Amino acid sequence: MHIRLAAVLPTCAALLLGGTQAVGDTPITYTDQGRALFSFAVPDFWAVRTGGPREIEDTELGDPRAVARVIGVRPVTDDGAWMGFVSPAGVASIDGGLRYLQDIDKFLVKDPDVSETVTTQIGGLPARVIRGTGTREGRGVNFTATVVDLPRDRVAVIIAVLRDGADPAYVDDLNAVFASFRSAQ
Amino acid sequence: MTHKLLKRSILALGLGAASFTLSACDGVTVGVGYGYDPFYDSMLWNDYYHDVDIDIDVDRPGRPRPPVAKPPARPKPPVAKPPARPRPPVAKPPARPRPPVARPPAARPPIHRPAPRR
Repeated sequence: MHIRLAAVLPTCAALLLGGTQAVGDTPITYTDQGRALFSFAVPDFWAVRTGGPREIEDTELGDPRAVARVIGVRPVTDDGAWMGFVSPAGVASIDGGLRYLQDIDKFLVKDPDVSETVTTQIGGLPARVIRGTGTREGRGVNFTATVVDLPRDRVAVIIAVLRDGADPAYVDDLNAVFASFRSAQ
Repeated sequence: MTHKLLKRSILALGLGAASFTLSACDGVTVGVGYGYDPFYDSMLWNDYYHDVDIDIDVDRPGRPRPPVAKPPARPKPPVAKPPARPRPPVAKPPARPRPPVARPPAARPPIHRPAPRR
């Protein structure tokens, strides 16, 4: 079939006009008490949920516990992928961040099975990445828990979760968020 | 040729615009929404600042317990009554100035009235 250039060009122009809006992302800055700690970019058509510092009380024990700001992002119309960011107060080093992770991982996934622990750099900062699998509500889960050493005695804890059966294209989105991670100091 | 290209451009652009108009009909909020978010809630629910006995194989000093003593009793308000309100002075205000008592003179019949005929 012979396709003439003159017939194709207008179609390309129309696609270009509409397609430019799909590229681009939205920066989010994590702050604590007015101080910016780090920032990252949210993929298009993802939803952001943010909290703030507060205390949650255990209804059985009546013991309040401090909770730092948690920012969660995920695709708007799909719960197959999820990412959470927190910079807990009082955690100053990667080792402290790993201890913090050990305290939240039992809530995030059941029967976690760590496959590898890697020391790397994220946004030019030293980081430790823990990859593994587990289950949540009867569904298999791939998780990546990351601790990034931020300047001035802070860390960023990043959890990325991909449920079984999720669109594999979300891996690219999750990696794009990691690639956009920058310290704000 | 130019005319044909123009026609095709308008057709293609029109079709593109129509597809975007149609896709605008299904809103972006369709789907699961944010009602239930297990991972977010789990990330909040940490034990780091919490000294409950859960199998944590980390050697870390426990969190200091809050003092068990009761807080001091609330100070009672002073029992003394407030001083009585100052009463208004009992003296009556001076009487209103009375109007002058002089009456107008009694009306007299006009003197120039013609007397009835006898």
